[in-house]
Amino acid sequence: MISIDQLAYQSALRQNSAAGKMAYAWMTLVVCVAGRSLEVSAAAFVVNGFLVIRKGKISPLRYGKMLLVPLAFLILGTVAIIVNISEIPLDAFAIRLRGWYLTGSRAGVRKGLELCAVAMSAVSCLYFLALSTPVTDMLGVLRKIHLPSLLIELMLLIYRFIFVLLDTAERIMTAQKCRLGNRNLSTGIRSFGMMGSALFIRSVKRAGALYDSMEARCYDGEIRVLSRERPVRKKEILMIGAWEILLVFVTLWSIMK
Amino acid sequence: MKEYEMDQKQEWAVEAEDICFTYEGNDVPALDHFSLRIARGSRVAFMGGNGSGKSTFFLCLNGIRRPDKGRIMIDGKPFSYTRKGLLDVRRKTGIVFQDPDDQLFSASVYEDMSFGVLNLGMGEAQARQAVEHTAEELGLTALLDRPVHALSGGQKKLAAIADILVMGPEIVILDEPAASLDQMHTDLVRKVIAELSDKGITVLTATHDMDYAYEWADVIVVMKDGKVLRRGTPREVCTDRKLLEQAHLKPPVVLEMYESLKKSGIISAGEEPPGSVEELKKILTGRNDVRKGISEMERTPDAEENN
Ligand SMILES: Nc1ncnc2c1ncn2[C@@H]1O[C@H](COP(=O)(O)OP(=O)(O)OP(=O)(O)O)[C@@H](O)[C@H]1O
Ligand SMILES: [Mg+2]
Repeated sequence: MISIDQLAYQSALRQNSAAGKMAYAWMTLVVCVAGRSLEVSAAAFVVNGFLVIRKGKISPLRYGKMLLVPLAFLILGTVAIIVNISEIPLDAFAIRLRGWYLTGSRAGVRKGLELCAVAMSAVSCLYFLALSTPVTDMLGVLRKIHLPSLLIELMLLIYRFIFVLLDTAERIMTAQKCRLGNRNLSTGIRSFGMMGSALFIRSVKRAGALYDSMEARCYDGEIRVLSRERPVRKKEILMIGAWEILLVFVTLWSIMK
Repeated sequence: MKEYEMDQKQEWAVEAEDICFTYEGNDVPALDHFSLRIARGSRVAFMGGNGSGKSTFFLCLNGIRRPDKGRIMIDGKPFSYTRKGLLDVRRKTGIVFQDPDDQLFSASVYEDMSFGVLNLGMGEAQARQAVEHTAEELGLTALLDRPVHALSGGQKKLAAIADILVMGPEIVILDEPAASLDQMHTDLVRKVIAELSDKGITVLTATHDMDYAYEWADVIVVMKDGKVLRRGTPREVCTDRKLLEQAHLKPPVVLEMYESLKKSGIISAGEEPPGSVEELKKILTGRNDVRKGISEMERTPDAEENN
């Protein structure tokens, strides 16, 4: 999660408008999931890969590894859909096991593949967004579209605190390790519990200090901040629009077929 | 500070009269009948051991903590703890916290810096201009879009200072500005502080670095157990051995050097204590024999290079 965050702000696509990137990612995601079309999903997957690797300059190896994570779950899930145990062999394949068959139908295989493709294309849409747009920029867009400020403030503080807490936790754990706190499983578990409570106490303290310092800067109950503006370019709007329309047409075509 | 003793009320930036403050659940007060006056535009270093009440006083100055007793005045006006009164106070005094992680809450430096100015009621365009201007002054422009957690300790500190300076305060409070910074960032932060004073801003810092306080400050305030032990010029404070011992402070190295040089007769007894290393050098180079020694020392590295 931390490396994703780092990759996002190092991405060559960082300077493009966050609103544009979010619109692209979400619309493509919706079309893929709603349309359930193998062709559309494949197209989106390829384009997202191209954007992340070629335009965003993220290393292909990194991206590949990240894609493997959901793929593993997906394969397990799909196997359950494709493979049946039955007395009668189905049309796609059949493996005989003592009078029973491990078998699947053509329709089932197609469905499984479709599911895989749709899921992977959806994941690639989210990865595209996560690997090109830091949370900061996304919050700016959410503010622009007038999401309730309470939600945005919570997201902002949680995002900031994840890193502060991780940092604190790491320091506590190092201190424990130095004193053999992880000698064996039982001390390890105890140390972890102690770290948890220490972390809790420190977070409460930190929250108090943070509130003080915000008050010192005239905080009045609403967090107002400005984010950097990167307006969407006309060319980007046109390209995104054309791409989405194309996707919708292909989806319709594959349904009619 | 005899020159201010006349009835020139408007000259005082800060006046604290007999303030007491005890944290909830503590028996000992953090501030105990604390009184102090600070002239406008001065450089004040607060010194004293851990827990002597420096940070607590700073928080009181900003209206974050409200003294149980006594009163604080900024520019001759007593605090009113209403929303508007506090806003006025916080407009004038800015406080940079010791730990930047206690202060930086936003996702990026730009956002964090814009928070204060927007709270002051600035319009968006004006706020953006202020943020960019201050960032440029502090050399932070390249870091504006960085997430806060991706900054180094020194960069975080500079960002925390920028957070405050962008609001244009008349009084800037820095709680241990150089704590846990490397030499380069310490120098950078000190340069920024020096520039503040040049602009006429009143600067208060808490520090444990006696050498720095001695050279930088107009006034040193020595604190112990929530009280002011002494308020005086660096020379007055640092030549008072008893006082330093009482507050567990050590005299600055320059003064120790000066004392031992005086004892061994290299410096005449009538000489005023030097205010900085530079001044000590001047006193020494005033003497012929020593000057020869120093110039020889300064030549040596060159000679080695030539070999
Ligand atoms: N949030 C708090 N809750 C309870 N007690 C506190 C709190 N903050 C400080 N104190 C207590 O108040 C006293 C003064 O603390 P303060 O932080 O003002 O000292 P300081 O001079 O800033 O010390 P340091 O050099 O360690 O920063 C100490 O005894 C401390 O334990
Ligand atoms: Mg302190």
